[in-house]
Amino acid sequence: MVPLLIGISLISFFIMHLAPGDITTSEASFNPKASEESRQKLRELYSLDKPVIVQYGLWVKRMATLDFGTSFASHQRPVFWQTKDKDGNISLGMIQEALPITLLINVLSLILIIGVALPLGVISALKQNQLADRGITLFVFIGFAIPGFWLALMLMYWTGVQHAWLPISGLENMGHENMPWFSRTIDTLKHLVLPVFISGLTGLAGISLFVRNGMLEVLHQDYITTARSKGLNENRVIYGHALRNALLPLITIFGLSIPGLIGGSVIAESIFAIPGMGKLFYDAVLMRDFPVIMGILTIGSALTLIGNLLADVAYAWADPRVRRGVMQ
Amino acid sequence: MKKLLLKPLTLIGFTIIAGVLLLALIAPLIAPYDPDAINVKAILLSPGAGHLMGTDGLGRDVFSRMLYGARISLMVGFVAVGIATIIGIILGAIAGFYRGWVDTVIMRIVDVMLSIPTFFLILAVIAFLTPSIWNIMIVIGLTSWMGVTRLVRAEFLSLRNREFVLAAQALGAKDARLIFTHLLPNSLTPIIVSSILGIASAVLVESGLSFLGLGVQAPQASWGNILTDGKEYIQFAWWLSLFPGLAILITVLGYNLLGDGLRDAYNPRSSQH
Amino acid sequence: MLSKQHQYGLKKFAFIAFISLLMPACGDSSSSNQANKQLDYTKTYPASSGGTLIDAMTGEPSGLIAMIAGESAASAIAGNIFNSLLKYDKNLDLTGELAQSWDVSTDQKTITFHLKPNLKWADNQPLTSDDVLFTWQKVTDEKTRTPYGSDFKLVTKAETPDANTFRVTYAAPYAPALDTWAGLHILPKHLLKDQDINTTAFARHPVGSHYYKLDSWKNGQYLKLTRNVNATQGQAKIDNLLSRIIPDKAAQFLELSADNIDSMSLNPIQYARIFPARPELNKKIALYRELGNSYTYLGFNLKRKPFDDIRVRQAINYAINKQEIIDGVLLGLGEPVASPYKPGTRWSNPTLKPYPYDPNKAKALLKEAGYEDHNGDGIVDKDGKPFSFEILTNQNKEREMTAVLIQRRLKDVGISANIRVLEWASFLGRFIKPKEFDVVVLGWSLSLDPDQYSIWHSSQQAPGQFNFISYNNPRVDKLLEAGRLELDPEKRMKIYHEFSKILLEDSPVVFLSAGYGLSAIHKRIKGISNPAPPAGIGYNTYEWNIPSAYARNEMSEH
Repeated sequence: MVPLLIGISLISFFIMHLAPGDITTSEASFNPKASEESRQKLRELYSLDKPVIVQYGLWVKRMATLDFGTSFASHQRPVFWQTKDKDGNISLGMIQEALPITLLINVLSLILIIGVALPLGVISALKQNQLADRGITLFVFIGFAIPGFWLALMLMYWTGVQHAWLPISGLENMGHENMPWFSRTIDTLKHLVLPVFISGLTGLAGISLFVRNGMLEVLHQDYITTARSKGLNENRVIYGHALRNALLPLITIFGLSIPGLIGGSVIAESIFAIPGMGKLFYDAVLMRDFPVIMGILTIGSALTLIGNLLADVAYAWADPRVRRGVMQ
Repeated sequence: MKKLLLKPLTLIGFTIIAGVLLLALIAPLIAPYDPDAINVKAILLSPGAGHLMGTDGLGRDVFSRMLYGARISLMVGFVAVGIATIIGIILGAIAGFYRGWVDTVIMRIVDVMLSIPTFFLILAVIAFLTPSIWNIMIVIGLTSWMGVTRLVRAEFLSLRNREFVLAAQALGAKDARLIFTHLLPNSLTPIIVSSILGIASAVLVESGLSFLGLGVQAPQASWGNILTDGKEYIQFAWWLSLFPGLAILITVLGYNLLGDGLRDAYNPRSSQH
Repeated sequence: MLSKQHQYGLKKFAFIAFISLLMPACGDSSSSNQANKQLDYTKTYPASSGGTLIDAMTGEPSGLIAMIAGESAASAIAGNIFNSLLKYDKNLDLTGELAQSWDVSTDQKTITFHLKPNLKWADNQPLTSDDVLFTWQKVTDEKTRTPYGSDFKLVTKAETPDANTFRVTYAAPYAPALDTWAGLHILPKHLLKDQDINTTAFARHPVGSHYYKLDSWKNGQYLKLTRNVNATQGQAKIDNLLSRIIPDKAAQFLELSADNIDSMSLNPIQYARIFPARPELNKKIALYRELGNSYTYLGFNLKRKPFDDIRVRQAINYAINKQEIIDGVLLGLGEPVASPYKPGTRWSNPTLKPYPYDPNKAKALLKEAGYEDHNGDGIVDKDGKPFSFEILTNQNKEREMTAVLIQRRLKDVGISANIRVLEWASFLGRFIKPKEFDVVVLGWSLSLDPDQYSIWHSSQQAPGQFNFISYNNPRVDKLLEAGRLELDPEKRMKIYHEFSKILLEDSPVVFLSAGYGLSAIHKRIKGISNPAPPAGIGYNTYEWNIPSAYARNEMSEH
């Protein structure tokens, strides 16, 4: 796994440096008051004038001590975890702040997906080719096909401007920190309703279909026919046997969706003004903020590889055939 | 095939796709205006006489731009998926046929590519290269071949032990012949399904990139950039959002319905009852 | 253990119960905003203190030390926290901010600033000339990561004869000097002297001396400024300024429509088309416009043929219909420019007029330069080569639309132009710096001092410098040099008028337009000057106030 990580980091570093421009060529630098020689000084201070391989070496050296460095663009904020300076001031890490928000949204949308897609998929499979199935399939496909930001803006208009049901953007209302914990939780949740819905919509569609197809495939297996002919209660057949087996591949799917979990949607975060990982990455790319880009890609890949490992283990544990094989 | 077309949802999908393709093809014949024709006296007119879908911020006819935009959006879809499919077939065939260390290496690369969130990758690369329509197509293609590779490899793995393959091998058929004459043609259906679904996804990705300013650039029209141009006037110039949004929705829906229907038809068990 | 079916039913129930919990909670804070919608904002109330003004930014400052941060979001917020020695008043004349007066020596090389007495920092420490000296030392320090040091490095000697006097001496008279001192935020020595200014926590916890101090900064979400009781310039009327970070303009507009923010900047279509058509918006939101100090232009790469031929440049200038660009792109919300100065100011030469739209004249000039349509394909050519080039611009809707209009007009006279829209950092790094371009559509946002040495002087053509079009005109060079030495405003004006005249004749760029800054501000904010004076509506934000009848319901401290 470590060679894989090294490979990913090497590739990412070189791709980044292929890009024209760097932090010193950002917006502010085209101000006639800013001179080129000061920008050149800046470049030296950030080691941007050294050859790429040297810069990579410097980065690896820092990474060995798990020091992800400080951001070029955000006044030296630490990329990953908070640091304390000599006066005791704590600067929060950029990823440290953005990751929980993205995780929260993604976990909530995962819950939404499970809560809605599972039942929809099951109903669809059970009532295959009947009206319910067709209806659900159509509804799910539409959800899959809608451009996210379009739907987001329309919902924001309807729920926020026309009717004041939900907040339009951001994470909290004014005075959030003065609210009692219960109001605070409700406030945050209200702000997250639309972002979670929009983020989860595609997953919802995909997973319902997957569950439906998985169930259908399993329902036609011999052991189901056997169970039925044994006289088992239909519910037990469906939920006790079919669903359990159909859900097995779902574990792998969830494992594979771990990169998505920390990825965050740039579009949703931009529209809803949510400072998550997606926005962090996008801004870092535009500003050529190398430490942040490398930090996110490295952490992202590491988490993904761990996630896949966990998914494999979980699958092995969940699937009795594999478990038995291992134990023998 | 007939069985396929009898399913109503799949039929709807097919009709949609055929319709959109047709409109895109005959766009130059039926577009009432030149899509680039600016008319500063006709800025942001609502749909009505003269302009079926209204005009945009520079007075250009939205309907004409939508027709030409169809060509662009579909072209992005086809070319991107084409690139992904070709790469996927090559890598998947090699991995599935030769197995051994070649297979391991290829699948490792697939794993690496899959572990980087795709949109991040597309975003990073396009921001670095200048966003032109070719770069967009190439980049989407280069980041979506993994699924095809896995599919093709899986098909090859399961087919290579079938009798007809073993028989051909026994008769002394060379590798290339085996791959192109026997294995590939029988793996075609999942590839086609994946391509169809891939086109749908590429159209959506293009609209997402337009939102971020990295999609098809002005003055060319694409559904994505017409939609993005109109997003600040969603309450007022609703036509700038409604028509491209619906167009994307319906087209992507059509591709998904057709692809899914094909997949169901190919997999015999799921259509039985 | 519940069977799966019951579990599913339970899940569905939980989900619905959860959603319905939110609904009544939705009522609270937003229903009071509904009530606000019925208020009549035309009533007048006496100016009162208090309230919060909420505005929106698309980007977030990287820090609040302006000399290091640089981006506009940082200077906008830092401008409410820090003072400079001088400032511009409503008529764009220089006046004192921390300084109550200043003298220029007879040899014009020394400026002595006299600070107002009893100035304090927000933390109650005295503000003295030591702080000014300290700030100057920092901005000129090699180790400080600032791009703005060059003007201040021209100071050969900086002294503090006493606590209220600050004196600087230049090697030669430097006319833009006073303008530079109006732009340097003075920093507190007592808080920064042991700090590394590049990494200090002060950038996120600043202590200043202006109307406001930083109350809280939630990364990615908002910055809240609150009244500074020690403010050197008096007390502002509004208690708090909340700047919400909302990257998407469409979302900002929705927030404005829902009364959640009080102000945002608008584009011409929102200003001229949407608002007039929406009476319910007009009831509570007022529109303002002001002429900024920026202009859009089409720049030629003077090192590339045929742009080195003045006839070709002038031909293109005649071929472009500038009024059409103002009408079409800005919806009339802009003014034509014939010089690189803000129309209506003393530096703008009133006798100069932009090249009129004259396609015939354009064709005649092209013909003179050897360009004619010899092969009948609609494109003029010379020596067998058709006249075709690329127009580059960055991702800015208005510039894109301008480029499209230019492309069409050029086509009318037989010039074929393609447009390419580029991401900013790539644009600068790949095309501007190595001078790999034909023609660009860009804009300059200028300081109020008329000196434009860095943009037009022939010594400023190195990669990364601002004379990237490679303009070289010895007469202009001399005028620019003279302009920097001449402190008398009348004489200076003549120099820059002459400079503008030559620039117009030479046409190294085509001046296109100066757009208005457009804003929408909620009517609950009273005290805004309309129409805007030369300095813009922002010159007296400290006098804006929110009558308590209109104040938002805010959560009170427990």
